[in-house]
Amino acid sequence: MNLTAVAVEVGQIALGVGVAPLLPGVVQWLKAKLQGRRGPSPLQPYRELRRLWGKSRFLPQPSTVVYQWAPSVVVAALASALMVLSVPGLPTASPIGHDAVLLVGLLALARFAIALTAWDTGSGFALMGAARDLMVAISVEALLILCLALAALPAGSTDLRAMEEAAAGGAIWLSPEHWCGLVAFALVAVAETGRQPIDNPDTHLELTMIHEGPLLEYAGRDLAYLQWAASARHWVILVLGAELFLPHAGPPVARLVELVGWMFVALAGLAVTETMVVKMRLLRIPVFLGTGAGIATIGIVSWFTVGRP
Amino acid sequence: MSLLDSLVLGASVLILGTLSALIPSWTRAALWIQAAGVGACGAVAAVVFVAGGSVGSRFVNGVSPALGLDRLSAFFVLTVALTAVPALIFASRYLDGTPRRNAIAALSGAFVAALLLVLVARDVTTFLIGWELMTLLPAASMLVLRPDRPVRHAAFVYLTVTHLGGAGVWISLLVLSSHGALGNPAAGAALGGPIQALVTISAIVGFGTKAGLMPMHSWLPRAHPVAPAHISALMSGVMIKVALYGLIRVLFEWAPRSALWAALALILIGALSAIGGVLYALFQHELKRLLAFHSIENVGIITLGLGASLMFEASGQPTWASIAFAAALLHTLNHAAFKSLLFLGAGAIEKLAHGHEIDHLGGLLQTMPVTSVAFAIGSMAIAGLPPLNGFASEWLTLQALLHLAIDRAQAGWVGPLAASALAATAAMAVLCFVKVVGLALLGRPRHPNLEAAREAPYEMRAAQLFLAALCVGLGLAPGLLVPYLASIRTGAPAAAPRIVLVAPGTGGLPTLAIAVILGLLIVILVRARGARVAAPAPAWTCGQVVEPSLNWTSSAFTKPLRLGWELVLRPERDVTISTAHGVVQSARYRGQVPHLFDTVFYLPLIRQGARLGARARRLQSGSLRSYALYLVGLILALLAVVRLGWLG
Repeated sequence: MNLTAVAVEVGQIALGVGVAPLLPGVVQWLKAKLQGRRGPSPLQPYRELRRLWGKSRFLPQPSTVVYQWAPSVVVAALASALMVLSVPGLPTASPIGHDAVLLVGLLALARFAIALTAWDTGSGFALMGAARDLMVAISVEALLILCLALAALPAGSTDLRAMEEAAAGGAIWLSPEHWCGLVAFALVAVAETGRQPIDNPDTHLELTMIHEGPLLEYAGRDLAYLQWAASARHWVILVLGAELFLPHAGPPVARLVELVGWMFVALAGLAVTETMVVKMRLLRIPVFLGTGAGIATIGIVSWFTVGRP
Repeated sequence: MSLLDSLVLGASVLILGTLSALIPSWTRAALWIQAAGVGACGAVAAVVFVAGGSVGSRFVNGVSPALGLDRLSAFFVLTVALTAVPALIFASRYLDGTPRRNAIAALSGAFVAALLLVLVARDVTTFLIGWELMTLLPAASMLVLRPDRPVRHAAFVYLTVTHLGGAGVWISLLVLSSHGALGNPAAGAALGGPIQALVTISAIVGFGTKAGLMPMHSWLPRAHPVAPAHISALMSGVMIKVALYGLIRVLFEWAPRSALWAALALILIGALSAIGGVLYALFQHELKRLLAFHSIENVGIITLGLGASLMFEASGQPTWASIAFAAALLHTLNHAAFKSLLFLGAGAIEKLAHGHEIDHLGGLLQTMPVTSVAFAIGSMAIAGLPPLNGFASEWLTLQALLHLAIDRAQAGWVGPLAASALAATAAMAVLCFVKVVGLALLGRPRHPNLEAAREAPYEMRAAQLFLAALCVGLGLAPGLLVPYLASIRTGAPAAAPRIVLVAPGTGGLPTLAIAVILGLLIVILVRARGARVAAPAPAWTCGQVVEPSLNWTSSAFTKPLRLGWELVLRPERDVTISTAHGVVQSARYRGQVPHLFDTVFYLPLIRQGARLGARARRLQSGSLRSYALYLVGLILALLAVVRLGWLG
């Protein structure tokens, strides 16, 4: 473990923790521009975090230690997921390794913790959101593994650093499975970040909430944690997508610039989708994500049938 | 004293405990003696497992009894011991106040002895004796506990299905033994293709039935809920694994022409069992029945690992073949730990909170804190969440499946699809155990019975805490076992054990570091958020009052899934509303998710069987003349056969 790798890792964690709240802020800002509204500044999430940090927490009456600890567990899981990510072109040294499959486990841990709080308070709206979130997660996890498999095939490894390296350059775009992976991962990104057409982050109608539902009872610093976790989820998924499925090449500095550029493009993509597409019926989500699974399967089959130079 | 002598000594103590259970008022002591005996056997097995090599006899093809222990057997004996010791100690208090508890205690000891006998048997006769006892004894314990009609029916289905399917075990073992192929891979390889196919198929059907693999699983969700909790723990934790032990022996050692189609069959059956098991588990309302369906799921995951191993073997990739094999065995031990923990927890809840309907539990974290914490740990482990043991072995299995494609094994495209099925399975297990933990442990008590719930006695708590610690320990350092497990497959001496999980072409899984980082972060975050709390108030729920009668139920929580997957699940729903003069008088709702395997697969089979039986009964006319005719016909047929020289 050399010093550069450690420094890069510390840098990427600090960057992730610091910049993550900007991502949903940028989406909201772009969306407002697209819809002809003035809208809040991209820094609005930071202001909300500061406001929430100054307020007291709240413990509803029938609640146990599960309710109190869940926000910390969610943040710990997301922060660990952030560590697992690699930095394009640079050596990194995460204490918990860089395995892609670990990411899936950490995201599941966060989901488990927040869903349990819904049962703890017994609030019907929270339970509704939790049940839907977990149902969507079934298709999302299955699809995410297929996407990761598509990215791991050319790399010959599930180490994110090797996967990022294999996705660099132009040659990979000649193989059809990479395109399949890109399309399938786009669906995962929409679902995991809780954006339309899967979920509507702006909704104030409890009956339609998915990710927001279990957050209804929280206040103060607990809610600040959970909101940061939601934006960290954007960070993890979008960085992963940009590194594995979007074009990048050149020396490390160029790749970092490209990464920033692609992140902005991805955020713009989310904003445009949110503007153009309405939220779909809950029962159509498995079909929607199943389409992605079909595309990814085509990619995997093509890897085994199409000849390789 | 040799290791084998120590093993026999341990087994003798176990049998002594079994016999002393028959003395009235000795039940508790007898169960402790049994636990000591199994513990001794486990210690011997641990020594053999680490040292490798073989103790006692090797496999023989004759009929004279022979006993022995090698690393594979030792691993399974160790699994039995790690499950049976806490289960028997748990039983020492669990059986308090149960009618005929002497008989149940004696049957428990005998059951464990039968499990051990199968594992140390080195000839086909001893194996089959142990095998049949292992099937019969739990059925006896069910009938002793509650000899009412539903239980008799469950025991009947259990015995019928396992014996019909179990014929496959007899066929495969007797064919192998008659060709001298037990413990002799050369003779196994020399078998012709058709005979190998016969052995492979009958082994998959025979052992698969006992392991509860879909679609041969029909008995499992019926039999497990009606047995006493500690017997359920043993059946689910170990008995179905002993069936997998037999499958491993036959497919990996004795019929060693690694056929691709066998690997594909295992992966297909494994994926079906994993998805089907957890899918139907979601819709169960009874805790033990739900856990029984999860056993099908986990046996499916183990089978996926075994199938991947066989597929690597068929493509000549021994490194990953051994890793996939290790993944399957690791999940075997992990499942034994968390599933028996959950069954013991369900037993404690049933005994002390008087409820097994999930919808009628609730708030147990307040009244039974130790049981609840142990149960929650088991739930997180079975849901495959880091940093617990379920995640470690599911990670390794997922990697094995992904590497089928990455390393271009034959038919490797099946790998990512199976991996994706496994990921969906894990996500459904999360959904299921969020529901179970939420309904049983959290919130307010949902039934008046629960007011009187109290914490389990010391022995029962200790048993659960031991298994919970095992789940945590195996999650922190699974890598300590993996080299030994892989060496069972390669036959080479084990590599030096490491705490982390490593495999070529992966990022590695530093389990201990993950646990430490997660733990540290959680503690720091909890401290950072401070202790300032606003004045307590009821949950807001958008202005509604959370009323007990409006509590969410298990069916409500799984409704999105039920509707989203309607096409596959075919749920039934029946709402009756009676009105008088335009005013609703009463509304009745009934809904269920029918078990499609029963209605689509088994019912037609049973109907056809009954029809054939009715037809065959016509032969039994009761008339003496027709029987005389049968005899004459038989003699003539035999004479014809002899004359034609078909008997050689």
